[in-house]
Amino acid sequence: MSARDNILARVRKGLGLPGEVPGAEREAARAYIAAQPRGPRPTYAWNDGVARFCERSEKLGSTVDRVAGIADVPRAVARYLHSKGLPTSAVIWPALQGMPWAAAGLDVQARAAQGSDLVGITGVFCAVAETGTLMLLSGEDTPAAASLLPETHVALVDVTRIVPGMEEAWALMKAERQGPPRAVNFVSGPSRTADIEQTIVIGAHGPYRVHVVCFG
Amino acid sequence: MLLTSSSFKRNVRRKLADPSLQRNMKRFGGRFVEARAAVMTEVDNLEEIRIAAAAIRDRSLANLDSYLMEFEAQAQARGTQVHWAETAQDVNRILIGIARANGVRKIVKSKSMVSEESGLNDAVAAAGMQAIETDLGEYILQLAEEPPSHIIAPAIHKSVEEVAELFSEKHHTPRQTDIPALCREAREQLRPHFLSADMGVSGGNFLIAETGSVVIVTNEGNGRMVTTLPRIHVAITGIEKVLPTLNDFSTVVRLLTRSATGQSITNYVSMLTGPRRDGDRDGPEQSHIILVDSGRSRLLGTELQQALRCIRCGACMNHCPVYQNIGGHAYGWVYPGPIGAVLTPSYVGLENALDLPQASTLCGACQVVCPVKIPLPELMRVLREKSFRQGLRPWHERWSILLWRSAAERPWLYAWATRLAVRVLRRLAGKDRLLHRLPGLDGWTEGRDMPAPSSRTFRDLYRKRHS
Amino acid sequence: MKVGLFVTCLVDMMRPRIGFAALKLLEQAGCTVVVPQQQTCCGQPGFNSGDRESGRAMARRFLKEFEGFEYVVAPSGSCTGMIRCHYAELFPEDPALQARLDALSSRTYELTQFLTDVLQVKLADSGFSGTCTYHDSCSGLRELGVKQQPRSLIAQIPGAQLHEMDKPEVCCGFGGTFSVKLGDIATRMADNKCQDALASGADTIVGGDLGCLLNIEGCLRRLGDPRTRVLHVAEVLAGPEPEEG
Repeated sequence: MSARDNILARVRKGLGLPGEVPGAEREAARAYIAAQPRGPRPTYAWNDGVARFCERSEKLGSTVDRVAGIADVPRAVARYLHSKGLPTSAVIWPALQGMPWAAAGLDVQARAAQGSDLVGITGVFCAVAETGTLMLLSGEDTPAAASLLPETHVALVDVTRIVPGMEEAWALMKAERQGPPRAVNFVSGPSRTADIEQTIVIGAHGPYRVHVVCFG
Repeated sequence: MLLTSSSFKRNVRRKLADPSLQRNMKRFGGRFVEARAAVMTEVDNLEEIRIAAAAIRDRSLANLDSYLMEFEAQAQARGTQVHWAETAQDVNRILIGIARANGVRKIVKSKSMVSEESGLNDAVAAAGMQAIETDLGEYILQLAEEPPSHIIAPAIHKSVEEVAELFSEKHHTPRQTDIPALCREAREQLRPHFLSADMGVSGGNFLIAETGSVVIVTNEGNGRMVTTLPRIHVAITGIEKVLPTLNDFSTVVRLLTRSATGQSITNYVSMLTGPRRDGDRDGPEQSHIILVDSGRSRLLGTELQQALRCIRCGACMNHCPVYQNIGGHAYGWVYPGPIGAVLTPSYVGLENALDLPQASTLCGACQVVCPVKIPLPELMRVLREKSFRQGLRPWHERWSILLWRSAAERPWLYAWATRLAVRVLRRLAGKDRLLHRLPGLDGWTEGRDMPAPSSRTFRDLYRKRHS
Repeated sequence: MKVGLFVTCLVDMMRPRIGFAALKLLEQAGCTVVVPQQQTCCGQPGFNSGDRESGRAMARRFLKEFEGFEYVVAPSGSCTGMIRCHYAELFPEDPALQARLDALSSRTYELTQFLTDVLQVKLADSGFSGTCTYHDSCSGLRELGVKQQPRSLIAQIPGAQLHEMDKPEVCCGFGGTFSVKLGDIATRMADNKCQDALASGADTIVGGDLGCLLNIEGCLRRLGDPRTRVLHVAEVLAGPEPEEG
């Protein structure tokens, strides 16, 4: 018997389930998964999902800017980088390379991020109002490391893609995609650690800064 | 990890007498408690969510084989190689096997308590490869050659001065005691390793049966690094960590991060499903997962099964007055605090960790905060019963209990014995009506006086008054 | 109202005046109180040490002595917690016995809980005078929800002021046999408790469980504090009780 079979047999025996392999129970498990029940959540409610998202983002240590439309985004990003004295060259999701970055004075490179990149610009799949969280799906034109390796992560959020909670984010993913991508990353503010003396320090291995530009 | 739980009492003595540990625990130990209390004010229906979370964990456990098989099928369909480890040693063997087959020389690791169970780092080093811990706390401890003392804040027992000393010595850099500067120093040391490692090893907070994914919940970003940059990713986690659905995960994670660090959500929640896809520009070429039993299946079907609900938030140890006074190392294995007092004897054998289930006043603080409602005091009592039944407790303890029981079953004997005991104790006490030393109760009188009985027994006084 | 007083083994042996104080409080509140003479212990010391049979044997005895009463009251959150929460799981093989026990358990109250929640008592001035700080004993607090009751009762005593200590809900380290088996840790926990209690500025540490009180008092005295009083809440509420012997 393989290790797998031994373990599964021990599990089954421990649980006191009849027979050697699950039959009806496996079907029941599948049925439960298919039913997708949602659990209770905190009953806090908000009128304006965008305002909630922005407020919670700032609480997480991100900075938030809001512009009228997607056309304003490159200039808003440039303004942010200038205001912080940050470099104006950035690695960007290939999905976003069609936007007028050069016109805003930014030098963007659409590729996977490298260790030396200082600014990473990404979009999001959607964003979660409850916690101020960005949801990023990895993919050909949306590589994962752009939101991780650079010291500054600029995320562009279409306000029509702000959903109430994580459950709605999953539902949106299932509705629009064939199964999950390699990596789903929920990002909630700049990386941090409290491993020395329980003192919170912003900027551990990932970005020191997360700047969210909401548009629309 | 070296098991020293059998010398728990000796460990305790040493830790209580360790001034730096005592100072550090007093300074930092309460911060998690405050942070949790603050963030829980956001959750007005905490109890409802706890009940739901416990039910989700119970559902997974009640049909664990089904959900594991479902997980395996989904994971394999998306290109993950699923390995099964019956024992801790098997974890090391499997991982080293994967590494050897792929010419791995350098491994970067994010936090995995399961890999502490098997002493993975030592095994990897013995196999001629390098394993580098990248969680800041774990990195500090790897440099210091110490095991973690807390499951989510592994270096909670260390002060900034100790870290400064260590970094200066190991990095050959000037000593600095500014905490952000030390964090940057660690970042700069570790960044090149992320970029050059052949393999990333992570734990797994949860397995999702619905999608065959592993989820890791982190703050520093190192978990994302080790699962994104090296060409091979191996996740190691216990078989009990499976959740049926993504919605179930959403329910549970709301309590996990709040209970653990007092955050509404951690900086990163990453769900990993298989290797790099066609066209992807980053991500590992190979994705493996090692599902570890190593004692877990033994708990199924017993009263201790409830302990397998654990989602490793650490709230029980943060709120445990025993843990807060002795720190995590005294427990002598991977999992300290109340959950460790239950899991350690269950995984390594009760006879090897006999004092751990006794290491609690059963005050119940752990049970009140446990996000998945594990009745930890009850489970410690179950293990105490097992010890008692199997005759593992010292003879004098057994006899005292049996004598007490036998007297308390016979009121006349009880009345006589307590009357006698009261007389003797009153005679032994000094003028101050205190017993400074009491043979047989040295455990008490070594550190505290025992106030003597103030009079005759209530029973005798009452009878006299009413006669 | 006919009430059976469960004195508890510690009070019986170590501080009978607490039993008399409880008796007085209940009688003043108009209860007819009976103290069954064949009562012994609730079984918790053995039960928590792993001897389930201790729990079963003493639950049977408890049932025998107290089943006839309308209410049972004990000046202890710990013993009441044992009865109310843990007797419920002792006789799965004998549902009839278990049902009788459950019915009795549900009529069993910790003293301050009974005085407030059931009797809604108005206390007479006990003559107690001093500043109190209240330590919440674990079983009373977490198994029974005793928190406001003793405080509201103390507030009825004109001479008593309540100064809350830091972390009143943290365990004092008693834990029954824990206090002997792991005396080092128990001592350290008691030390912490004493420091928090003294820092409140109170001259009297009050609690609802004699085990905790002995632990705290023993620690205080060893620390060289002969003055600070350590009293059961019943003593504060009933006033000084003369004792013989």
